[in-house]
Amino acid sequence: MPDSQVEHFLYHEARLMDESRYEEWLDLWSEDALYWVPCNDDDIDPARHVSIIYDDRERLVQRVDRLKSGSVLAQQPKPRMRRLISNIEIVERGSAQLTVHSNFILGVARGGTQQIWAGRSIHELRSQGDSFKIARKTVLLIENDQEIPLLQFLI
Amino acid sequence: MIDVGNLIQGTRIHGSLYRDPSVFARELDAIWYKVWVYVGHESEIPRPGDFVRRAIGLQPVILVRGADGKIRVFFNRCRHRGNMVCHLEHGNAAAFRCPYHGWTYTNNGALIEPTFSEGYDAGLRKEDFGLTPLPRVDSYRGLIFASVSPEGISLDEHLGGVKEFIDLFMDLSPSGEIDVRTGIQKLRYAGNWKFMPENSMEGDYHGPFIHKVAFALHSKRTGFDVSSLYKNEIPDVIRSIPGGHMVEDYRKATIEPPKREPSPARQAYAAALERRYGPQKAAQLLTTIAPLIYVFPNLLYLMTHIRVVQPVSVDETYVYYQPVLLKDAPDEINVGRLRDHEFMFGAAGFISPDDIEIMERNQIALHAAGNEWLFIGRGAHRDKVLPDGSSIGHTMDENHIRGFWQHYGRVMSLPAREPARAGA
Repeated sequence: MPDSQVEHFLYHEARLMDESRYEEWLDLWSEDALYWVPCNDDDIDPARHVSIIYDDRERLVQRVDRLKSGSVLAQQPKPRMRRLISNIEIVERGSAQLTVHSNFILGVARGGTQQIWAGRSIHELRSQGDSFKIARKTVLLIENDQEIPLLQFLI
Repeated sequence: MIDVGNLIQGTRIHGSLYRDPSVFARELDAIWYKVWVYVGHESEIPRPGDFVRRAIGLQPVILVRGADGKIRVFFNRCRHRGNMVCHLEHGNAAAFRCPYHGWTYTNNGALIEPTFSEGYDAGLRKEDFGLTPLPRVDSYRGLIFASVSPEGISLDEHLGGVKEFIDLFMDLSPSGEIDVRTGIQKLRYAGNWKFMPENSMEGDYHGPFIHKVAFALHSKRTGFDVSSLYKNEIPDVIRSIPGGHMVEDYRKATIEPPKREPSPARQAYAAALERRYGPQKAAQLLTTIAPLIYVFPNLLYLMTHIRVVQPVSVDETYVYYQPVLLKDAPDEINVGRLRDHEFMFGAAGFISPDDIEIMERNQIALHAAGNEWLFIGRGAHRDKVLPDGSSIGHTMDENHIRGFWQHYGRVMSLPAREPARAGA
């Protein structure tokens, strides 16, 4: 598979997150999805240690339902967001699945301030037709052990 | 000096209490450096040498179990020229070595020797230069509290009537013990610290307004429908406890249990509770919500976790969410508690972020001076006051918030702590 296809997929996902296109973003995920944002460190055991996000498919659907409901106060008004995806490396290439590492930097503007979020994403992408589904995504925030503000958008 | 007495008038409090930097400065001396403040739980430092770095008000401290097994709290400050002796957030250490000039202390706090000691006068006694311990440290059911002030009421007296509810929370564990080595979700918000206890303890009133969608998702997921709490105002739930403590006591607020068949782990957990507490109490523990508890000034016990409120400035606060595991409960129950916690709490949760957004907006709105007073009068006409000074109200009443402010006003009006004296 050409790497440009992987790049294209990650850029597409980034645009959907930036533009709060929740349903389209949800469609990128597999049925056995796992969306994980560890807390305090990058390699914690989620069975013993709290996470910032640990969503299976059901929880992911609930996350999107809530964000879409219009009831999330931190989305009133909606933040403006743009992120850069870079340093893309395909670290494992199976016959039907890829593991891709990338870095991101995200600007979030709301309420008179701009926040900068940064981290590394690990995508496990499963080939499907001429594109991919996200089987698992882990987001390693550089701030995962700091006092952070609300994270009420897609990362 | 601020006359706090004028700013707290029964069912109304003045907005400057959340906004005035001189109120915050006074709080440091009158509250944070005077009363008992929660610093950590015994399960965080099980072995000799285990330590965690914490703060009391703005003062950095180390909570450590010494080589002798004894738990101590030290000011995190070298006796040489005042640098921080411990910069790690947690760990295990036989000794703390100040990075600046290498002065090294045992984990019992004793100075081993000043470095290049030949340059010091023979009269220098290293016994005079140990890490400075907090003058008072005590614990209740593994919860460790310390006080910067050498004098004051005992911890037992401070906790008073809230101990009964801490016990109830701990009873959820089949061994009566908890484990909080679960990591800490750390948040910051641009608002006063007092919003956190107030908001955390009145979810029955604000729930239907800001948590409606999350509550619906939660009841769909767990089978527990909490909406009955605010549809039918339930008497005798909200408690104000002398000492500024607040409790939501749900023992009389039965909630329809899930219709679904309990999992094998849930059945094993229920059996373990029955063995320890008997069938009647076990049934009560399993069919009601554990009490929500606020211990003045910085500790909250809320459903899945211990929450610690850390003031930073008059309009900035850190808050730490630390999930509680039940020792000797089946693994599946504890994993379920973690996943339940992440659903509700933390920066990306479905419930607490709406609270935090509300607190930040509250901080902004309180700069409006058209009418400076906040009204906390719900249920005042039907307050049930008990002989010990507690009061009991309906689920949405504000009697506990009035009790918090009465206590706050009393503590803030007492003579301030004597400034620390020069010398060892």
